[in-house]
Amino acid sequence: MGLFETAAAKALASSGVFLFMTVLLIAAAKRISTCIALFSVQSLVITAQIIAVSRMHHSAEGFVVAVLVLTVKVVAIPYVLYRIVEELQAPRDVSSSTSASQSVFIAAGLILLSFFAVRPYVGVLGGDQAMLAAAVALVLTGGFLMVSRKKALMQVVGLLVLDNGIFLAALTTTFGMPLVIEIGIVFDLLMGVFLMGLFVFRIRDTFDHLDVSKLRRLRG
Amino acid sequence: MTLAMNAVQVLLLILLAPLVRGVIARLKARIQNRHGATVWRPYADLVKLFRKEDLVPDSASFVFRLAPIVVFATTLVVAAFVPLLHGSALLGVSGDFIFLVYFLALGRFFLMLGAMDGGSSFGGMGASREALVSTLAEAPFLLALMSVAILAHNGSIAGMVQWTIGQSFFQFSAVHALAFMALALVAIAETGRIPVDNPTTHLELTMIHEAMVLEYSGPSLALIEWASAIKLTVVMALLIALFVPWGIASSLSALALVVASLVLLLKIAALVLTLALVESSVAKLRMYLVPDFLGVASALAILAVVFTALMR
Amino acid sequence: MILLLPLFIPLAGALVVFLCRDPRLVVRTALTTGGLELVAIGVTVVSIHSQGVLRAGRYLRADGLTSFFLLSLGLISALVLVYSSGYLRHVPEGRFSSLRWFYGLVLLFLFTMVAVYLSANLGMMWIFVEATTLASALLVGFYNTEGAVEAGWKYLIVCTVGIAFALFGTIALYLAAVKGGVSPQSALDWGTLIDAAPGLVGGQELLKLAFVFVAVGYGTKVGFVPMHSWLPDAHAEAPSPISALLSAVLLNCAMYALLRFDAITSRAIGSGFSHTLLLIFGAVSIVVASLLMIVQRDLKRLLAYSSIEHMGIVAIGVGLGGALGLYGALLHSFNHSIAKTFLFFTAGNVRENFGTLRMERIRGMALSLPWTGGALFLGALAITGMPPFGLFVSELVILTGAFSTAHYFIAVLMLAAISVVFGALLHHFQHMLMGKPEDVPVQPALQASWFVVMGVCTLCLVVLGIHIPAAFAAVLRGAMAVLQS
Repeated sequence: MGLFETAAAKALASSGVFLFMTVLLIAAAKRISTCIALFSVQSLVITAQIIAVSRMHHSAEGFVVAVLVLTVKVVAIPYVLYRIVEELQAPRDVSSSTSASQSVFIAAGLILLSFFAVRPYVGVLGGDQAMLAAAVALVLTGGFLMVSRKKALMQVVGLLVLDNGIFLAALTTTFGMPLVIEIGIVFDLLMGVFLMGLFVFRIRDTFDHLDVSKLRRLRG
Repeated sequence: MTLAMNAVQVLLLILLAPLVRGVIARLKARIQNRHGATVWRPYADLVKLFRKEDLVPDSASFVFRLAPIVVFATTLVVAAFVPLLHGSALLGVSGDFIFLVYFLALGRFFLMLGAMDGGSSFGGMGASREALVSTLAEAPFLLALMSVAILAHNGSIAGMVQWTIGQSFFQFSAVHALAFMALALVAIAETGRIPVDNPTTHLELTMIHEAMVLEYSGPSLALIEWASAIKLTVVMALLIALFVPWGIASSLSALALVVASLVLLLKIAALVLTLALVESSVAKLRMYLVPDFLGVASALAILAVVFTALMR
Repeated sequence: MILLLPLFIPLAGALVVFLCRDPRLVVRTALTTGGLELVAIGVTVVSIHSQGVLRAGRYLRADGLTSFFLLSLGLISALVLVYSSGYLRHVPEGRFSSLRWFYGLVLLFLFTMVAVYLSANLGMMWIFVEATTLASALLVGFYNTEGAVEAGWKYLIVCTVGIAFALFGTIALYLAAVKGGVSPQSALDWGTLIDAAPGLVGGQELLKLAFVFVAVGYGTKVGFVPMHSWLPDAHAEAPSPISALLSAVLLNCAMYALLRFDAITSRAIGSGFSHTLLLIFGAVSIVVASLLMIVQRDLKRLLAYSSIEHMGIVAIGVGLGGALGLYGALLHSFNHSIAKTFLFFTAGNVRENFGTLRMERIRGMALSLPWTGGALFLGALAITGMPPFGLFVSELVILTGAFSTAHYFIAVLMLAAISVVFGALLHHFQHMLMGKPEDVPVQPALQASWFVVMGVCTLCLVVLGIHIPAAFAAVLRGAMAVLQS
């Protein structure tokens, strides 16, 4: 058991690496389903972190939150998104305004930026520098995805990644908030995804395409 | 004793290379619901080719006949840089990873020359495409290897292997993860597999490597095919040695070597399976998308190098 | 226990509406709920002023600030419901577009906003602010036209991103509190935080970081420039009663959240940082909004930019610090709510009659639609801060506050912006009111509900402009006391 513990502890300490990998992969991804899967992986890593932190602080509430995040972010939301992709019967490529290598370069730049942004705050916020940098990188990448991808569903994925980043930042700095609040936050996110899914269908029905870069009727 | 061991390693690489190729082809066939040829087919092909006549185009110069020999020789040298069963290599020196990259480049250069010397238009086309791919693949190749070298504070591949063995498997290093991803992409480009190049295509316009060797026949073709198989195996062995070297024999006892062989077999089997799966599920990229593919590798490699400074 | 009433009445009403089949019953239920809600809020306000801070369980709390904002919410929502009953006679067919969905969502929307006001806990407040976005997104996209769907999508995405940043700010504040010795269980409770605030000086950097994120996050929902991109679209494409709710109540809701955070931050590290930030946001907002108002072509977009501008004025009022600025800001938010509601109801009428909201196609309202035209004229006077309407008083108070705290530049900026707005509105409205009516518009008879609603608005505006009644002033002072402690 001791070997497993140390192995798990070490793996968790370096789970920031996994998150950076997902950031780069999600930037390079060419299909919407790949991005959804990567979001699911990110949420899984975050769940593992929650479990590790809960064990460290012996908090039962933390395990409840972990189960919640697991069911909602790892399983439920990706499933809903997959179903939407299928129902839409639209081309499943990620229409991006930047090529794959450009996106990866930008994502790499964002990762470096997040490291430098986090450096002066490590003392103030507490928490591990690598994890905090990973959180900021997730936020920045989510924002980048929302801005550079032209498909409406990709904006939703970008938003989810951004939200993951903020959730992770909260996790590394505060080691969890009161249970009721956590439940409320996750529930809000779930509702938000449902609503956005609804709107994606409306966009498709009203405009006959899913390219948000063409939604420019309202300007000024 | 170590010397003998290292020589055996090189010999193993050379002799088992066609088998690796055969296994990959058989696995791909199985995945695609075909029977596929036996795994020993590449050996039969080599024997057949060695017995045939070497036809040289009238317009070709000595370069055409020299190229296969240079290609085979450089690949042999490269095989001597990579530790397989045991933490040292036959020609392992400090900085040998740079040698590795550039010996492979030398071989490729001569292959391109030979292709153009052959006088066919497809040779020229293959050569120019290969030039594009190899130019773009060189930077990420070097950078990725360099990043691992920086972390290991050691310039030789064998030294890097020794360093990595000393680390815990579960302490994932961002540099290694990034370098691995970059090298995996570069490996696909270097060894001419899908999605960069299709080694089994018969449509000339989709060829890169095959187009260069269209004019070769007999022993020359045998040498080139063998060199290509060795290159694939060496690159795989490089990936294994740099990133998952645990299980390598630390002493020269028989038990350690047997264990090391089994572990190596397992790792190569895993890589072979992955390659077969990837090749069966991904489509070959069109030529204008290959620079983009290698651009991703470059970005990852650059990030790996930058991370060596950040992770201090 | 009283606090549960204004919270659960809209929720119960929404439930009943969703279960109803008969449209007339739906409307009647909605109106009844609105009336009951107004009464419940009235009772709550009175209780707060007789008993001080009210608490119910761990998550509900109401003090002077709550009562002030609840008052404006109750009044506006009742007016909106009354107006909707007359306005929404033809509802476009669609999956979520029916009278049932409209009133159900409106009541749900009201529930979420009341919950924001009654939250004792900053985390709870965040959850319900996000819930307001979710509840109102379908209402923004109600007409299912291209513009409406685009506006709804933008609203949903931009506001969710903004709120995510506000979440981080909330967490940073929680962290500062826990580090400053507050027990983790109550480190999100506003009452506890306000008491512990002076002891949080050690976490200066953290508190500043928290406030910046909160200002950007909740500021997105208030409509500060440059996070305002969703606002003109959403307020223009939504049905007019919804636009009124968004402009008059939701913006105040977000501002309320900001005020709660500002109170804690000011108490902990002094008001310099937070107020400077608010001044910057306010100044930028009024400048950009006033300039953009000149080039608008759609009436409701014009009104939306006007909302941005007025929220900027409120932010300036708060950011000036001092009693005058705060008093003016709170009064202004109330006045603006009423005036904007008034104008949106007028815009609704314009749309009904002319079939469009493009101002270039609307002419000669003074002759063809005397009542609506007159209302438009009065509304223009009110919103640009002319006496005898309430906005004149509140803007004057804020300007006085600016001069008294030596923020001369801000005062000049504000005056300039107000002048630009006056000019722009005059230009647009003059075009709409004067001239010969080109094509005789359809003239459905003006509903009695419209007259009632407009009458109430005018009365409030005039009363607040001439002499603020003592009871109202008491509520206002109660709100100020909370923020100034």
